[in-house]
Amino acid sequence: MLRRLGQSLALLILLSMFSFALVHAMPGDFAELLLIERMGGDLPARDVLARFKAEEGFNDPIVHQYLRWLGSILRGEPGVSFQSGDSVWAEIGLRVENTLLLAAASIAVSLALAVPIGVFAAARRGSVWDRLSMLLAVLGMAIPNFWYSLIMVMVFSLFLGWLPVSGYGHWTHIVLPALVIGTSMAGITARFIRSCVLDVLSRDFVRTAHSKGLGEIRVLLGHALPNALVPIVTLLGLQIGKMFDGVVVVETIFAWPGIGRLLVESIFSRDFPVLQLCVLVIGAVYIAVNLTVDLLVMAIDPRIRGAL
Amino acid sequence: MLSRPAFGRANGVDACGWKRTMGLGALALVLFLVTSGPFVAPHDPSMIDLVNRLQSPSFDHPLGTDHMGRCVFSRLIHGFRVTPLAAFIVVALAAATGTAIGLVSGYAGGLTDSLIMRVVEGFFVFPAIAVALVLAAVLGLGMGATVVALAAVHWAEYARVVRNLTLAEKAKPYELAARAAGISPLRILFRHLLPSMVHPIAVLATFSLSWAILSFSGLSFLGLGAEPGTPEWGLMIAEGRAFMRDHPRLILVPGLTIVAVVILFNVLGDSLRDRLQ
Repeated sequence: MLRRLGQSLALLILLSMFSFALVHAMPGDFAELLLIERMGGDLPARDVLARFKAEEGFNDPIVHQYLRWLGSILRGEPGVSFQSGDSVWAEIGLRVENTLLLAAASIAVSLALAVPIGVFAAARRGSVWDRLSMLLAVLGMAIPNFWYSLIMVMVFSLFLGWLPVSGYGHWTHIVLPALVIGTSMAGITARFIRSCVLDVLSRDFVRTAHSKGLGEIRVLLGHALPNALVPIVTLLGLQIGKMFDGVVVVETIFAWPGIGRLLVESIFSRDFPVLQLCVLVIGAVYIAVNLTVDLLVMAIDPRIRGAL
Repeated sequence: MLSRPAFGRANGVDACGWKRTMGLGALALVLFLVTSGPFVAPHDPSMIDLVNRLQSPSFDHPLGTDHMGRCVFSRLIHGFRVTPLAAFIVVALAAATGTAIGLVSGYAGGLTDSLIMRVVEGFFVFPAIAVALVLAAVLGLGMGATVVALAAVHWAEYARVVRNLTLAEKAKPYELAARAAGISPLRILFRHLLPSMVHPIAVLATFSLSWAILSFSGLSFLGLGAEPGTPEWGLMIAEGRAFMRDHPRLILVPGLTIVAVVILFNVLGDSLRDRLQ
């Protein structure tokens, strides 16, 4: 348990070094860009730039610069965005919230499809459910998210006119992006739930449950599914990792103001402070999610506690 | 490999000669288009003809023309030389690096192994495409940068598989015999252990190809990867987006091509796995 926390902390420190190094590895002189920004877009003279670098500490050893940067982040004042001139934190907080909302909605869609399909596919191998889970999995893996999003927009917004094309502010705006991410994950999740439940179905306690006269639904949902939960929760954790790739694309297409879209925007507008912080925040959320999944698994199955 | 569904094995019935035949036929078609696409395409894929923009399919332009009057069919065919080739380079780079690192990690064991494996786990934690996006931006947008960035996030997959295989092979007597014969560790790794791992690596590489095609076209769609004007499928979809209400074929055609090619490589990977393992 303590070791697991230590690992997360080490990963967090590595991540902060990475996002610091990132800006210094980007093409273009960070100090010069910052000065151009402060001077309102004018190109600075060479001696002005040199003085600015000396005053702002750009000539200090890189380790000093890193520690100073880290300090400013921890104090909650990571500088202003090149683009908007606003405080970066305020912007990022809102974006993270929106992305978490979209992620939660997508997982809900995915589970709402995957749990019943997966459980019934396990109970009736080779049935319609089984085939459905297979089809969903194949399509979910082969269809690119960006194309799927456009097709959904075309069908539900342009042709049927049921939902808005893109945007933010009304609950209908989240429906299409969540459907895209949720359904594209549902198949693989269903296949995985199926194989986990199948694994459990051959155990003795399932036979016992059957023989004491419980109905099939109760055996499946009350006995088989809970015991298959550990690998399923672990997979969900892994899937959240994969999901963010889809989130980046889907947010960009649907103009959903989340952190994925901010990341893409900051890359294309070369907004270094925002990019740096995006990487840091996204990474930190990831580390937190992974830690949570491990703790959740421990809570579900006390036998694992010793192993971590 | 955890979440990879097996195609066509819902009933536990192992498939089937015809699937392999179809798969190989489709592969032959893809290879043909990659090698001799320019001879098949009826038009120059980048010839702009604004008078004939957004034309419906006709005999001259089997899939019509796009918003700049370029022949969609020709762009599609030429696209076989962009995305699949870029994906191939990504997979080759990732497989070579990951295999070398995995071999060393598994064979060296101890601290080296656990350090490398921590790094590999790190790569599994973070979202691959998002990391590739950031890396591509650092390397300076463009095709080469994107290919390197995708390879840089993908090698870990190979490193993990190869490291586990190395651990298994290391325990076998022939490795001990080779060591007793005084053969250098590097030679043992590459001449004795590596050949036994070719099959699983080949299977993984087939699946990787479809991942790389999806990722590369996705990044091109976002604006990294292929430069504007390139007949790249993801880019074609991005360009057709503004016209999709009246001309859905502009995004349907390249999208379906991507889906077909990806399914093809998945089917090939499955039949390869069934055959070899």
